[in-house]
Amino acid sequence: MDNNFKGNERILHHSLPVRLFHWCLVLGFLPAGFTGVILFFRPFGEAGMHLAMQVHIVGAWILMVACTLFFLLCPGRVVAFWREAFHWTKQDIEWMKVGGGYPQKMIFLQEIDVPPMGKINSGQKMMGIMVFFGTLLIILTGAVLYFALPLVPKEIAYYADRIHLIVGLGLFLCICGGHIPLGIYNWPEFCSMFGDGTINAKHAAHHHPLWTQNEIEKIKD
Amino acid sequence: MPKSYQANELTGIIKIDEGKCKGCDTCKSFCPADAIDGAYGANHQIDNARCLQCGQCLVNCPFGAIEDTVDVVDQVIEKLKDSNTTVVATVAPAVRVALGEEFGMEPGKLITEQMYGALKKAGFKIMDVNFAADNTILEEGTELIHKIQKYVLNQPVEGELGPLPQFTSCCPAWVRYMELYHPSLRQHLSSAKSPQGMAGPVAKIYGAEEIWHVQPEQIFCVGVYPCTAKKLEASRPEFTAAADYWKKKGHTATYQDTDVVLTTRDLARLLKKLNIDVRNVEPAEEKDNPLAEYSGAGTIFGATGGVMEAALRTAYFVLTGEELGELRYEPVRGLKEVKTAEVPLKLKENGQEITLKIAVVHGTKNVEPLLAEIEAGNSPYHFIEVMNCPGGCVNGGGQPINPMGTSWTGKFKAILPW
Amino acid sequence: MRYSYKEKEVKINRREFLGFAGVIAAVLWTGAYTVTDLIVDRTKYIKMRTAGLYQDDEKQAKRQSHHNQSLLNMYKKMNFQPLSPLAEELFHTHYVDRSVL
Repeated sequence: MDNNFKGNERILHHSLPVRLFHWCLVLGFLPAGFTGVILFFRPFGEAGMHLAMQVHIVGAWILMVACTLFFLLCPGRVVAFWREAFHWTKQDIEWMKVGGGYPQKMIFLQEIDVPPMGKINSGQKMMGIMVFFGTLLIILTGAVLYFALPLVPKEIAYYADRIHLIVGLGLFLCICGGHIPLGIYNWPEFCSMFGDGTINAKHAAHHHPLWTQNEIEKIKD
Repeated sequence: MPKSYQANELTGIIKIDEGKCKGCDTCKSFCPADAIDGAYGANHQIDNARCLQCGQCLVNCPFGAIEDTVDVVDQVIEKLKDSNTTVVATVAPAVRVALGEEFGMEPGKLITEQMYGALKKAGFKIMDVNFAADNTILEEGTELIHKIQKYVLNQPVEGELGPLPQFTSCCPAWVRYMELYHPSLRQHLSSAKSPQGMAGPVAKIYGAEEIWHVQPEQIFCVGVYPCTAKKLEASRPEFTAAADYWKKKGHTATYQDTDVVLTTRDLARLLKKLNIDVRNVEPAEEKDNPLAEYSGAGTIFGATGGVMEAALRTAYFVLTGEELGELRYEPVRGLKEVKTAEVPLKLKENGQEITLKIAVVHGTKNVEPLLAEIEAGNSPYHFIEVMNCPGGCVNGGGQPINPMGTSWTGKFKAILPW
Repeated sequence: MRYSYKEKEVKINRREFLGFAGVIAAVLWTGAYTVTDLIVDRTKYIKMRTAGLYQDDEKQAKRQSHHNQSLLNMYKKMNFQPLSPLAEELFHTHYVDRSVL
């Protein structure tokens, strides 16, 4: 594509399965993470802690089922994500060095030039890698803690708990402190994921030039 | 006193540390008495009125959040220093195959001589509880034989006897379970005390007079057991047989038969405090110590099926006049939760053939179906061994905590806490 | 149609697919094997300690309680037998109904 779009043209950015999966992450990971923090600090009495645990389990089930289904039913998207997230070039390093221009824009209200990005930018690639392995670890250790506690050796249970805690807390902080604020800040992308999945073509050409140049095609009538 | 305890008994031996508890419910899945309160995710507490003090929750908590609150190590060290006191250690069978673990050895390493050596170096006199275990077999076995004579062979027998089936009574957590949850069946428990119950009187009567030649009041009897419930048992107010015996001879002091109890973990701590390491201590054989003589039957008391096998070896001999042919009695060995067997016997007096029906249970909850049979009046058994801890005393609540293990002897299944 | 462009279809070539599947299978199998191995061995420490006791049993000169000479000497010295009145006093007990305590 030559990136010369008319002002009102739109591109399908996130298909329905992807948006549904993202909703499941919102409804699964966020309650699980939030109640996870509560379970760690233990601020409440018996009823409160038990409720927190129940919410945590429900969120965890949603997360586990959604991830499993997405992997099995949308392998194409998983592969596409994997390819992008693990394909790093010099431009990605340069982008990371200037923070993608976000600090400058958000704090100093100054726009600077950044290297061209694909569908996901370098920061999102980094987050993607963390989320991929982190979620895998959380689900595996969580399964041990939920299904098999009296059966597994105590040392395994202890380390499962440690890993679950550290990775869970870490991911939750990154999501709440990084992904969510930046996701809202980039309003067109927010509307794309939570709305009908489309994004303005001119905006996409500016923010994701490599994607609009190489990865998209006009739909057949 | 909280409910379900006699005056002066130790209560609250096992306690959950609220700061460390994660509410994971692992302890609940091991508790034989449903004595742990607290919803999944919230802090858990032990309900002392229900708790058997067995310590299974303690050895299975993945976060080490449960503790044994009875710490007499410093008290024992003080007594060891006192030259007017003869401190006697009565050591249980299961201790010698696990003590090494607290010093880096593999589980199951048999270190009897090193254990004796370490105790001697610390200043203890030694009595092996295996001697008392043999003693228990003589008493409990004779009781069983009298019951068989009375109920199975319909012979006249003197003395008060409880009904069949007879339950072993050496496990204090099991005894408390029976007394608390099935008190109407407690006559089925053997009237014989546990080896700990017998070791104290032996040490303070026979030991005082014939072995160590000291006044009974000078003896401080320290039980060394793989078991936290033994701390409760030693504090039972009726366990003053030695003091009662001596009072009849003019003495006046009152004291428990076993004064204090150290678990295997406690003993390891005591030895470390005194800079004694079982790996390089001078071993002691105690060959001239009559109270350290024991038979193979005594030492297997620490494993599930061991008491039964020991009792069979003697009961078989007494009833048939011959020794049990195969001393390794396999049907009672192993981790199956309820093991049963039928032992055919040919009585020596008249050649009559009877079949002794026995059962071996470990993990107290597994005894419930057998108790139901007794209540319904159709129990097929004559003799039932019950050990609270899965695997027997070798896996007791006072043993070294093994990080690569758990006490779960049941089938695999997904344990959903909620 | 709300949009006029979309992403080209993602094509996975056979080599990639096999690589993926292979890695996942290897990870799952190793994980499952390790975990089930560890779970199966969870009571190994109990079996090891038990074996130690049976080993002690087989080392002893006397294998039956009624052959413990020191024990028999004690009975003789104190002049009593199992279940005799003195034995009842010292070695036998009664049990308590704790449900009413």
